[in-house]
Amino acid sequence: MTLEECYAALEGSYTDAIGRLRSEKLVRKFAIKFLADPSFQLLEDSLASQDYSEAFRASHTIKGVCQNLAFNKLGNSSDQLTESLRGGWTDAAAGLVEQVRADYQQTINALRQLDAE
Amino acid sequence: MHTANLKQKNRLLVFCSILVGIVCIAIFWYLSYFVRTRSTETINEVGNMYMNGLNERVTMHFRTSMDYRFNQLQEIIDELPPEDATSTTKLHAYLSDAAEKHDLKQLVLCGSDGWLDSLYGGQIKMYAQDLFVEALNDGDRWVATGFDENGETILLLGIPINYPMFDGTPSCGLIAGMPLEYLQQLLDTDDSLVSSHIIRRDGSYSLRSDNSNATTFLERLQELAQPDEMEMLSHYNQEFLQAMENGQNYSVMITLSGERNHWYCTKLPYSNWYLTTRMPFGLLDESVNQLSRSSMNMAFLGCAILLIGLLVLFICYNDINKTQMQELMRAQREAENANKAKSDFLSSMSHDIRTPMNAIVGMTAIATANIDNKQQLQNCLGKIALSSKHLLGLINDVLDMSKIESGKLNMNIDQISLREVMDSIVSIVQPQMRAKKQTFNVSIHDISTENVCCDSVRLNQVLLNLLSNAIKFTPEKGTITLVLYQDESEKGDDYVQIHLEVHDTGYGMSPEFCKRIFDSFSREDTDRVHKTEGTGLGMAITKYIIDTMGGTISVESEQGKGSTFYVSLDLQKASVQEMDMVLPPWRMLLVDDDPLLCESATAALLDIGVQAESVMDGETAVKLVQKRHQQHEDFQIILLDWKLPGINGVETAKEIRHILGDNVPIMLISAYDWSEIESDAREAGINGFICKPLFKSTLYYGLRPYAETQNDEPAQPKKKVSNRDFTGKKILLAEDNDLNWEIAEALLTEEGLELDWAENGQVCVEMFQQSEVGYYDAILMDIRMPVLTGYGAAEAIRSLSRPDAKTIPIIAMTADAFAEDIQRCLDCGMNAHIAKPIDVHDVLTQLDKYMK
Repeated sequence: MTLEECYAALEGSYTDAIGRLRSEKLVRKFAIKFLADPSFQLLEDSLASQDYSEAFRASHTIKGVCQNLAFNKLGNSSDQLTESLRGGWTDAAAGLVEQVRADYQQTINALRQLDAE
Repeated sequence: MHTANLKQKNRLLVFCSILVGIVCIAIFWYLSYFVRTRSTETINEVGNMYMNGLNERVTMHFRTSMDYRFNQLQEIIDELPPEDATSTTKLHAYLSDAAEKHDLKQLVLCGSDGWLDSLYGGQIKMYAQDLFVEALNDGDRWVATGFDENGETILLLGIPINYPMFDGTPSCGLIAGMPLEYLQQLLDTDDSLVSSHIIRRDGSYSLRSDNSNATTFLERLQELAQPDEMEMLSHYNQEFLQAMENGQNYSVMITLSGERNHWYCTKLPYSNWYLTTRMPFGLLDESVNQLSRSSMNMAFLGCAILLIGLLVLFICYNDINKTQMQELMRAQREAENANKAKSDFLSSMSHDIRTPMNAIVGMTAIATANIDNKQQLQNCLGKIALSSKHLLGLINDVLDMSKIESGKLNMNIDQISLREVMDSIVSIVQPQMRAKKQTFNVSIHDISTENVCCDSVRLNQVLLNLLSNAIKFTPEKGTITLVLYQDESEKGDDYVQIHLEVHDTGYGMSPEFCKRIFDSFSREDTDRVHKTEGTGLGMAITKYIIDTMGGTISVESEQGKGSTFYVSLDLQKASVQEMDMVLPPWRMLLVDDDPLLCESATAALLDIGVQAESVMDGETAVKLVQKRHQQHEDFQIILLDWKLPGINGVETAKEIRHILGDNVPIMLISAYDWSEIESDAREAGINGFICKPLFKSTLYYGLRPYAETQNDEPAQPKKKVSNRDFTGKKILLAEDNDLNWEIAEALLTEEGLELDWAENGQVCVEMFQQSEVGYYDAILMDIRMPVLTGYGAAEAIRSLSRPDAKTIPIIAMTADAFAEDIQRCLDCGMNAHIAKPIDVHDVLTQLDKYMK
């Protein structure tokens, strides 16, 4: 699986990422590092403990990382989640959390495949 | 209730004005009355003084004249004193001579018993002889009137002297007779106003200077009086007689026959006479009356002018009042209408909100009931997601509207690229249009300035609103066209006018609705519209945004045919130097069926140094390529539209590849997502894709890679932000996420910067605190961090008491890019704000701007 294919699989923008980070090597390096990023776990943990301001921050961080790496799909859903959590818990957040979980899974799957090769 | 109130107020006003009028008239009337009384009093006083003076003068004159005469008599006597009058006959002869010499009319010796011895001029008779004799006996000089032999009234002057009489007895006085005219001369005062008379103490006239026949004061009064005034006359007469009795002066004002008369009486010396002077006030009164009449008139005229002025003022005030009331009523009506519109909106909104809510609640219930049926579950969740999204859209609109209504819609003006705006909008709306099988055309021409200053989020919102409306109200297989072009702005050379047009072939709108479309809370009231989701706020928000940007929006629509929205905005040209875009002087072939696109793209290409020829369809293109190939003037690069009449772009590419081989790059232009055709296209020999709309920069960036490969030149070094060398500059970066930190580090280290990492705001403050002064050149600050946020960290750093605490550039780097967030960053003491994702170019620009 090439990096470009990986980006297609996680529905990100390869060209944006290259444009920002300039070299494929860097993009690949950081993309794989995303696997180890603790923000998603932090999001899950804080949601479980109903610490929604921390959940907001975690979601905000995921969004930031995704924007940096041009993981557009996860970036979009985490952006929406961030906005729904900005003022505390909202009913809309429940659906968005699911969306973020699904997108995160999709992203992680693609990256693992890339990492495996 | 209001009208009753109004009537009451009006009554009060009328009452007040009448009251003011009455008070005015009363004051003026009193004023003129007062002036009149005072002037009458003053006139009386002046008259009194005048007459007093006159009488004094006459009296003085009388006294001196009499004294003169008495002195004559005394001289006569002194010449022959009684002691020397030895002979009676001689004495009488001497006196008779002296009388003649002194021009006396008569000369008489008076005995102490009143016997008169006539010495010269014949016999005389005296009026009130006993009084005369008594005065002489008492040794006083005396003046009286009497008669001569002919019965003519004469003036008699007596001086006491003891001359022997005819019979030898001593006389008590010598009496000289003189013509009455002598006395009359004294009374002639040359004054037409007054007349003076001499009156005796018994009230009878001794001498009068008018033509009256009255013999007494009472008679004179009666002459002047009206019959009904008779009664009071005797009273005045009595008073006068009494005053004379007591030897007092007398002054009285009597009104006779409507005319005021002033009598002034003073005692005369050497006699029992009184000098009475009468001044009729007729003439004076008339002039005084005239004066007071005219002053009265003036007063009333003034009063009238004042009242008219007041009236005019009152009417004007009333008018203003009325207009204000009307304004107020109008405002009230408007407020009521707005209120009604809002409550209408709320009721329709509650319906609109309830519909997706019901779906969500219902679907949740179904999902709960079928928790084990995965397919059912997925179906339900999909519907819930859809309804939620719809609901979210509604709520966002309402929030935007409430922001607008409270005037809090901020514009976040920044430099934007129209190309990027159009690219993003096209990529957003394309999937929706594809879902509805609508045709989407984008036409962009006459773009002179790609970079302008505008709020890109709001501009996007406007475009998205217009386009999603077009999508919503255009049936399947309809056509939607987005047009963008530029014009010269009326605002000057720094500005450019951009025109945006959105055409659709949808249902269209009624002319009535076109007028209301930009009002808040309005939706066309038709069944079809009711089936379409929306709050009716979109166009109001759009209009408001455009108004705030200083632009205009208008709409043309025909029911059943479609609508067109026209937006024009005057935007400032971005100050950034547009990149010098130059491509090699290729011979290029452009194939597109849209002549407008061909024309504008050819012009844009010429601008960046490329000679392009354009043809309208695939067959012609292939023929032209063939022809040039034979002439050994092959095209060096070819742009093909995907959708072409006749053979399409991919087919055309195949044929051209056949002729030219693999060396010439062939690009496909497409307004659509090309992922579906990508494999086909690659197979057909297409090297790459260029996305419509075709801006100059789109063409430049799309074609540049081929310039490099063709010329075997190394890739153009990325344009440096500035000539500045950042090598060795120390940056403190606060960022809680490892990955973000690593990315930033990787990118910025490459530029020569040295970075230190702070995991949160607190660490950042501590690291800065512990560093030497001037060690760090700048701080890049994430906002959302644990322990201490970027806002707090910036404030803390700024409040440190180090020389560089106030000066070190702090630049926020965060994914929050709302105007409020940026403002908060600046309020916390940061210098600038960079939105994530991290862009080296942006970071370096800001660092360059703020670093020493």
